[in-house]
Amino acid sequence: MTTVSKKPLLRGAAVLILAIAFLYGCKDFLSNAAAPQGTLNQTTLANRAGVEGSLIAAYRTLDCTDQTENFGWGCAASNWVWGSVPGGDSYKGSDIGDQPNINDIEGYHWGSPLASDYLNGKWIIVYEGVVRANSTLRLLKQVLASSPSEFSSADAKAIAGEAIFLRAHYHFEAWRMWGNIPYYREDETDFRKANEDSSAVAVDLLKDLDSAIKLLPATPRNGDKGRASLWTAKAYKGRVQLYDHQYANAVTTFKAVVASNTYGLETSFDQVWTAFKSKMDGPETIFAFQASSKDGEPNAGNANWGERLNFPYSPSHFACCGFNPPSQNLVNAFRVDASGLPLSLSAPTTWNASDSDFKAGNLTPVDPRLDWTVARKFVPYKDWGLYDTTFVRDPANGGPYSPKKTIHEKASGAEATVGWQPQQQSSLHIHIYRYADLLLGLAEAEVETGDLAGALAIVNQIRARAGVTAQGCAAAADNNVAATYPQCAGDARLAVPINDPKITWAVYRINPYPSFPSQAYARAAVQTERRLELAAEGQRFFDLRRWGTVAAEINGFITGIGGGAEKNRRGFLAGAEAITARHRWYPIPAIQISLSQVAGQASLKQNAGW
Amino acid sequence: MERILVGKHSLLNSSPRWLRAAAMGLLFAVAFAGTALGQDVPVSGTVTNAAGAPIAGVTVRVQGTDIRTNTDANGNYRITAPASATLTFAHVGSKPFTAGVGGRSRVDVTMTNVTYLEEVVVTAYTEQRRADITGAVSSANVDEAKKQTQASVLKALDVAVPGVTVQTSGSPGSRSTVRIRGISSFQNNDPLYVVDGTAVSDSYINFLNPEDIASIQVLKDASAASIYGSRASNGVVVIETIKNGPVGPPRATIRARTGVATPTKGYDDILLTSSLDYFQVLKQRYINAGQAVPTGVYGDPNNPSIPNYYYATPSSILTKDAFGRIVTVDASKYSYPNALIEPASAGTNWWKTVFGSAPVSDYNLDVRGGGEANAYAVSFNYFDQQGTAAYNDYRRGSVRVNTSFNRSKFNFGENIALSVARHYGGTGTFDDASGENGVLGKDILIQPIVSVYDVAGNFGGGKGVPGVNSSNPLKNAFDAKDNINKDNQVFGNVFAGLDITPAFSLKSRLGFNLQQNSFAGYSAITPQNNEASFSNSVFENNYQSTGWGWSNTARYLKTISKGSLDLLVGQEASAGTNRFLQGSIANLLNTGLDSRYVQDALGDPTTKNVFSFGGKNALMSFFGKAGLNYADKYVASFTLRKDGSSNLGPEHRWGTFPAVGLGWRISNESFLSNNRILSDVMLRYGWGITGNQNIPSGRIVSQFGGGRGDTFYDITGSTSSIQPGFRQASIGNPDLKWESNKSTNVGTDLSLFEGALNVVLDVYKRTTDNLLFDPRTPATAGIAAPPIVNIGKMQNKGFDFSVGHQASWWNATFNGSHYKNTILTIDGVQTFFYGPGGTRIGNPTINQLGQPIGAFFGFIADGFFRDAADVAAHATQDGAAPGRMKFRDVCCGPKGEMVPDGKIDNSDRTIIGSPHPKFTAGLDLGAHRGNWDASATIFGTYGNKIFENQMDFYVFQDFSSNVRKDLLANSWTPTNLNAKYPRLDITDSFSGAISSYYVKDGSYTRLRNMQVGYTLPSGARYLPGARVYVQGENLFTKTNYDGLDPAIPAGNNTGAAGDVRDQFLGVDVGVYPTNRIFSIGIVTSF
Repeated sequence: MTTVSKKPLLRGAAVLILAIAFLYGCKDFLSNAAAPQGTLNQTTLANRAGVEGSLIAAYRTLDCTDQTENFGWGCAASNWVWGSVPGGDSYKGSDIGDQPNINDIEGYHWGSPLASDYLNGKWIIVYEGVVRANSTLRLLKQVLASSPSEFSSADAKAIAGEAIFLRAHYHFEAWRMWGNIPYYREDETDFRKANEDSSAVAVDLLKDLDSAIKLLPATPRNGDKGRASLWTAKAYKGRVQLYDHQYANAVTTFKAVVASNTYGLETSFDQVWTAFKSKMDGPETIFAFQASSKDGEPNAGNANWGERLNFPYSPSHFACCGFNPPSQNLVNAFRVDASGLPLSLSAPTTWNASDSDFKAGNLTPVDPRLDWTVARKFVPYKDWGLYDTTFVRDPANGGPYSPKKTIHEKASGAEATVGWQPQQQSSLHIHIYRYADLLLGLAEAEVETGDLAGALAIVNQIRARAGVTAQGCAAAADNNVAATYPQCAGDARLAVPINDPKITWAVYRINPYPSFPSQAYARAAVQTERRLELAAEGQRFFDLRRWGTVAAEINGFITGIGGGAEKNRRGFLAGAEAITARHRWYPIPAIQISLSQVAGQASLKQNAGW
Repeated sequence: MERILVGKHSLLNSSPRWLRAAAMGLLFAVAFAGTALGQDVPVSGTVTNAAGAPIAGVTVRVQGTDIRTNTDANGNYRITAPASATLTFAHVGSKPFTAGVGGRSRVDVTMTNVTYLEEVVVTAYTEQRRADITGAVSSANVDEAKKQTQASVLKALDVAVPGVTVQTSGSPGSRSTVRIRGISSFQNNDPLYVVDGTAVSDSYINFLNPEDIASIQVLKDASAASIYGSRASNGVVVIETIKNGPVGPPRATIRARTGVATPTKGYDDILLTSSLDYFQVLKQRYINAGQAVPTGVYGDPNNPSIPNYYYATPSSILTKDAFGRIVTVDASKYSYPNALIEPASAGTNWWKTVFGSAPVSDYNLDVRGGGEANAYAVSFNYFDQQGTAAYNDYRRGSVRVNTSFNRSKFNFGENIALSVARHYGGTGTFDDASGENGVLGKDILIQPIVSVYDVAGNFGGGKGVPGVNSSNPLKNAFDAKDNINKDNQVFGNVFAGLDITPAFSLKSRLGFNLQQNSFAGYSAITPQNNEASFSNSVFENNYQSTGWGWSNTARYLKTISKGSLDLLVGQEASAGTNRFLQGSIANLLNTGLDSRYVQDALGDPTTKNVFSFGGKNALMSFFGKAGLNYADKYVASFTLRKDGSSNLGPEHRWGTFPAVGLGWRISNESFLSNNRILSDVMLRYGWGITGNQNIPSGRIVSQFGGGRGDTFYDITGSTSSIQPGFRQASIGNPDLKWESNKSTNVGTDLSLFEGALNVVLDVYKRTTDNLLFDPRTPATAGIAAPPIVNIGKMQNKGFDFSVGHQASWWNATFNGSHYKNTILTIDGVQTFFYGPGGTRIGNPTINQLGQPIGAFFGFIADGFFRDAADVAAHATQDGAAPGRMKFRDVCCGPKGEMVPDGKIDNSDRTIIGSPHPKFTAGLDLGAHRGNWDASATIFGTYGNKIFENQMDFYVFQDFSSNVRKDLLANSWTPTNLNAKYPRLDITDSFSGAISSYYVKDGSYTRLRNMQVGYTLPSGARYLPGARVYVQGENLFTKTNYDGLDPAIPAGNNTGAAGDVRDQFLGVDVGVYPTNRIFSIGIVTSF
């Protein structure tokens, strides 16, 4: 090293150090590493694609959004946790330890920590829907201001209309759960504001729906079946009016929708809940969650995630999970009298007396909708072969039945191919609002406004359609139907006339009401028809609440009605909390009340009694 | 069982066989060559103190090797060493001494007393004499730490350093969660590791062969750590590797160890292993609920029996008995996977099926040496530890080359390690993931009636046994046996220094860390499960990261007449990028290993999914430090560091981190001189601020995105095509600034009785302010990740101490520590937020003001309801009934005050325990007699609680899992009111709510390590001077915890702002139990 003099080295070292200091001392070194990687930013989205994408995301929350967030199953589009189970249409099912949160909802212990967790999941998702709708509106406004030519005025109006409609829908979901809720529009930034009284929410809902009606086109934009049109919003307006007991207004609104001939009943009941692509989104669909499978999503997250527990257990094809099984009470409700009318009306003290498994071969006459709604032992299970009670996960806990409406048909090819238990995932669309629901809403309003003839016509129209078909053999080479029912060999028909001679597992009978002799009778008939037609569609509890009959019906359901009591059928219901005034609304999730604090004071007020 | 053995055998014989062969071959070759290479001579001598009295128990070592001996009672020793070797003499209480052999056969030595204050340790950027250190710096006992048979030295750090806790599982190669003096933040609390001057964020440190480590210093307070300002708020672990050997010809050392590991405890110690015993529990549950006892599996409840089969495909069933149980089958109808026949078992011991003994081996070869102007240390390591769980294996090969050269005033060199690690086996075994379906989650709690294999020898499962949704855990393990996690890493640095004058020197160091990690996994079909899946899939990912750091320092070290001045200024820049790519495809046509690729033709192309993401960050720093020592009495140090981080808002990027330290070596004052009791006393005071910017990059701006399963939607109703959607993914905060951690430390270093007793005691308070985290926003703001803000505040107070004693033939060091963690502020409004880990029964942890992070939260369990009168007298409680759990009514009055309100609801949940220990302790013991030596290490933790979540399964029988052996005998009955368990009742969904019933004492004392060694005499014919030893690890545990293992690692939990595992501590969701390892080893040099 003697050949190298010391001074240049010293100088070199000093220069090097200074160079380093300046090189990295400059601002860019840090700034260059500051940008987030692999994300979009607000500017990227400030255009047509951004607005449309934001709107798509607002539709997506109709079902559990993003299964990885683990909101539980309480955000299912069908509302089975909040409408069917506490309404007495179904039990939680599975075994007692599984999803114990729903035990507390089923037992009306809504003040428990576990119930609060589930309520929180629902709350989060409905408000996420609101946030996405409002984001769309804000982005739209921004894009229209900066580049007005990005949208035609028709599109701009329609997009705003869709977003406002969706915002109303999500608020409606929150409203019928909790009543007193905060209402958020696109210009609001105070996310800790107080909740409104439920009557004020109704005003807000109708205001938004009226705006949406003004903005929306008469047919869904771009012909997309999933989008809201003016008639969707109008139908929804009637629904809100009905929930708000504005019967005369509801009649007007509903009649306008009916008169528009936009919607109609499916010709056969099997086409209402179906996974056959050709039959989905038919005339009866007003608004539905457009589930999709085989769409490249690696966990089949768009394929009815909210319903995935509601399939029979092993060794059925579906293998899991045994939730939401129809109750014995619901099955008994499908029994009819000699004239083909609901036994619950003509024999109010005995219709519910049977505790036994209502299985194939029991020839007590029933409404044919029973076998489109409830899976019963040895009755063909759509086209999956015979349903068997060995498919039940824990019969003592869930009873012998399984759901049927939301089960996809094998031949539909709608089943997913990926994810955990892909056989429980399908593209069957979930009705959020269907035309029969609207018609029965009209009938309900007509009864209250004294138009019994109008109500009678609607109820009989519904019953006439229900009487068109029943579950057929649907026998195929790979299922066991023909082995038990030899007459079925070679008969692959899924739906057959209700008196088809091949049917030996049931006797179906359904007839129109000759008349509604009184308002009370008409009311009972409409309410019964609603239960049968919309059974297991997540409506029952909300219907009972609207009718003001929750306490009577649910306490009867548990402790005894029509000659039967569920507490004797399902032991755990003996521990259910009696329905009292506080069950008028679900409690607002405790954590959200806590998060609403401003200066130590919670802005959200808990519902009475909780 | 044959199947398992075959499986394990094939595992052993797979790919790295050549590596193993090469390692062994190399070791033997070198071992035989050794005798030829050595030119060893016998050396003897006497060690005395300044007064001429002999010192016993001095460790005499041939420098750079493991050849060593101890002086006897007369201070005499004999050792064999190369004629040119240097001998080191070490004795606690004496100043280390070195002497060259220089061809002599007798080397007598006089050692002088020093305290440990004379030690020189590597702290930050420089070496320092302990007496000049004013902060809390602890040296780990590296020799003891190396005795643990582990891939990473971190796993032994808790016993080696007071104030450090380590959470780790028995899974080979798994993560070590190291915490220094409590927990400073809601997330990302791993300390900074600095290996040979290069900072690295890595919680495994598996690339570092423990045998290469020369020293570990833990910088525990800000006055010590603030020189690393930006990343030092969780403390700093400074690791130096061995850089050189003795001057002279190369010295090679072989260290080989091999042993057998078994789990310290198994679930079969706790759970039933007989099917009929299980039935008795089941039966009682139904009888007590007034329900009919199911007969489908066990037949007549009064005369139960094991059926022949619990499931057979309907077409194969020939006869059934009166209870519908399958009696005979037509086995020819069996067809996998669609037509299975499952025989029943009289009692499967699932634990023994999956867990057993496993070999572990660790081979090292190093060659070290050097001359006047160079030094080198080269090492090779092969470590192979099979898991005690089936099909779980960790292997690592590493090579290290450390060299340094001096030329005139220049010095330069490099330290570099290359490591290749392979981990085989499924999830839940490697990263302490808390998945309940893993080998260690709920699945291992499967009922005894389920058979391991079906009639055809394929894996059996629970199909047909009501309620069982567990998978066969052996099948889980088998299916994952070829899942492979590969870690390839190059870590090291190059450096150059220039001594401009004897006092003034410059140093530049470029460190780098190149990592490539990949994973290839497979999910098999599970037709034998109740929740059967007939869809297979493969997934693989690849992660690459590049990190570098360049530091430049100038040091001025001047000794003047009465003191010294030590000045350091420096600059450092570091940056990193990483990229992750993952792909998956389902429904492979051929599931063979050679076909497991993500390719359209190999599976169902519509299921193919590929995505990637990445990250970037950069840090820029300037720092300076001044150290003053006056008369070896008064010591002061001042540190200032300025850091810029790319993660923070442009206006707030730069943070300033000062520190001050003061020391008073009081024993050097005249009034204490010649004091025979207080040989050396140093009082220390330190204050400083450290920073933290460890959050995900890019959070200063709002991010938008979406996902197929989140924002995309089939708006057209096509049923199979979706349109893209977008949402706000996260809310940005341009005002993000540094989190700061203020710490104050008062300590003393005491040397008593002329060094016979060394005491180090530190008391501290650390307060984190502007704590970076993402407090939850109301749902009305949407699910976008809330902004990360600087708002929380957290405090840790505590003390740690160590007491060491050195006698003539034995020594002992006791370490103790205590910390108290308190949350002072959350977001200014909220008084709590829940922890991250939801369980089947809810969320058991909470972060609440005034409480420690991750406290357990639930009802207070007040025993069981005695009778109906007790139920009536108690507050209204959902599902209350005799024999069920009674919860305490604690809240609330009309204004929220803590008074009973007559009903049990949400508000009655309260803090029910803390996972944090009140005290942890480590004890190192050593002894030697002649050529024999022995050592033991004991670790204990006291006062920490465990939330035994597994009780949800083995007590409350969620998902029809197996149950505890004593459940039937110790359950509540009207005549057993003070039972251990509530009344068995199939309809009781209430008693299992989260309550103090799950909270258990997690204290334990564990004999971590015990080793007995024998050093062959230098005159021995074979392997003279070699040391052979036997050792046992985790031989004994004393605990009241009745779960599997009280040593519970914090399960992997990640939130939007980073790693949040500290909010979910001590929750037993099924942990890989600690291993008991018996091993033998040899160390020989030549």
